[in-house]
Amino acid sequence: MSRNMLSRWRLLLIPVLIILMCLVPFDWFLGQYKYLGTVIGLSTIVTVGLCLFMGYTGQVSLGQAAFYGIGMYFSAVLSSKQGLDPWLAMLIAASVTAAVAFLLGIILRLKGNYLAMATLAVGFIVWKIAVIDDMGYTGGPDGIREIPYLAIGGFEFDSQFRRYYLVWGICLAILLISQSIVNSRIGRALRAVHGSEEAAESLGIDVFRFKLKIFVVSAVYASIAGSLFAHHQLHASPGYFEPIDSVYLVIMAVIGGLASIWGAIFGAGAVEILRNEILIHYDQWNMVILGLILMLILIFMPEGLFVALKMGYQRDGVLFIPKRIWRLVIRLYSGIRGFQQRKTAKSFHGEPDR
Amino acid sequence: MMDILLETKGLTRVFGGLVAVDKVDLQIETDKITAVIGPNGAGKTTLFNLITGVHTPTDGEISFKGKPISRALSGSGKHHRFRDLANSSFNSLRNRSYQVSPALRTKLGIVRTFQHVHLFNNMTVMENVMTGQHPRSSYGFLEAAFHLPKRYREEERIRLNAMKYLNMVGMGQYEEENAMNLPLGQQKLLAIARALATEPQLLLLDEPGAGLNRLEKRDLSDLIRRIRDMGITVVLVEHDMPLVMGLAEKVVVLDTGRKIAEGTAAQVQKDKRVIAAYLGDDEDDL
Repeated sequence: MSRNMLSRWRLLLIPVLIILMCLVPFDWFLGQYKYLGTVIGLSTIVTVGLCLFMGYTGQVSLGQAAFYGIGMYFSAVLSSKQGLDPWLAMLIAASVTAAVAFLLGIILRLKGNYLAMATLAVGFIVWKIAVIDDMGYTGGPDGIREIPYLAIGGFEFDSQFRRYYLVWGICLAILLISQSIVNSRIGRALRAVHGSEEAAESLGIDVFRFKLKIFVVSAVYASIAGSLFAHHQLHASPGYFEPIDSVYLVIMAVIGGLASIWGAIFGAGAVEILRNEILIHYDQWNMVILGLILMLILIFMPEGLFVALKMGYQRDGVLFIPKRIWRLVIRLYSGIRGFQQRKTAKSFHGEPDR
Repeated sequence: MMDILLETKGLTRVFGGLVAVDKVDLQIETDKITAVIGPNGAGKTTLFNLITGVHTPTDGEISFKGKPISRALSGSGKHHRFRDLANSSFNSLRNRSYQVSPALRTKLGIVRTFQHVHLFNNMTVMENVMTGQHPRSSYGFLEAAFHLPKRYREEERIRLNAMKYLNMVGMGQYEEENAMNLPLGQQKLLAIARALATEPQLLLLDEPGAGLNRLEKRDLSDLIRRIRDMGITVVLVEHDMPLVMGLAEKVVVLDTGRKIAEGTAAQVQKDKRVIAAYLGDDEDDL
């Protein structure tokens, strides 16, 4: 019954959300936030890729910012210094990123816990290459300017207003593409890998190949977002993809819910708003607060905040939050009591019970 | 006269100092039900893992339909560690050993079920079986992402076939159920349906009867016979002797990695070595 209710609400909710999203850049609505809105769109693109990768392979990539950076710089250099068409530059950037991710995936075999560290290292390497600028391409810490706007035909995306729609259009396309991948044979194979690698392999699914492919897809998403950012900001510099940004992206993916597509908007939105509107006033507490949020979510809702809210709503209806809190209180209380009982049992019998 | 589907020659697998499977020569006949029995630790599951390619043999050869799918020519044994690590690609040049990957073996027609069911809990019953059709369909990322016609053609066929196998194990009405919520008996049936969906020629069942009650076991026997009648060769590892004796047309007995007897159920039951190694130790099972 609750599922029916959800679908009934959904019929109303989704068009309303879409209309609100479309109205954001108008000055009489939330005009002053259109830059933030664009940034959320870009983060969403990266987060979707990360959700796919982390959700289906069970591994953490701390190198998404590096792929973002590669996309940004290739787009910037090719379109400003080489004078290529921005769209072509974007395509080349995506191909280069795909190749890098492919090689990285093959070298690391996408196995074990080292992937997180290795990708983190890649993040630092790419960032450092951009900063040091040995070959005179990246412009060092100052970065690259004079990047052209994206344009379709004669229509240039030269205002904040237009770029908001551009970014969200591409973001929506990527969300829909991801959604159709997840609902297909490929998605079933990915979910199978997520469910049980052993069983997936026994059904003729080449586990490594699928992990590698989804890693490449996630890197390409990050690269596209990076390219879009370069043409949006008209400036590429190492400051836009610091290695720590990869951690923010992981937090977005976790809040949105791993292995969920639409949660990515929620995760990216929540973190970007927190970061840019609220935590900016408490600069030194930035990472502490976000880290705390990440920890709490991983402890209490390992499936992700968005997914947990959705499932809670499907199970218990509108009252799911008080119910959930009540259950948590009971759990904590019984946990403490169990602990005390165990302690007394230990003191009575002189040795811990097994 | 008798058709051999799968054959192993001198198949050996060593884990550290433990010889889990020791020079086993096995012939699985086409369209028959073969049971592999033996006490715990006899190497039955390792044998399955070798056949499906999860483990690579230390020595010996496996051939499927007359073609080798796994071959290890051991010399000194010093390369064994390499083989485990690099899973053959390096060794095939160096040692002339040869491994078909597990995924490709499924495509060739070998599939297994697991002792601990290993269903995909994040999917519905239907999706579990549809996943089994993976090696029999071919559309990729691009077709999936952009809704190309090939996707619809194949998806239609996948769904029909999956429904067919789901009905075959008698679970058609549970298609929308989450696999996690099923009782164990149905989970095991679902695992068999999922394996059948890969359209195998050889179905390896690892303890299909474990944890089932008497009634469910009887249904299971019927199902296995029906699968055999479809032209699928069945090999099962099982501890439940009445089930094995009623079902298997050929019984192979393993003990501490060695094959100690084979023949019909009646022959095996009379074999002295079998009684000594297995039945004599554990009379409750009879």
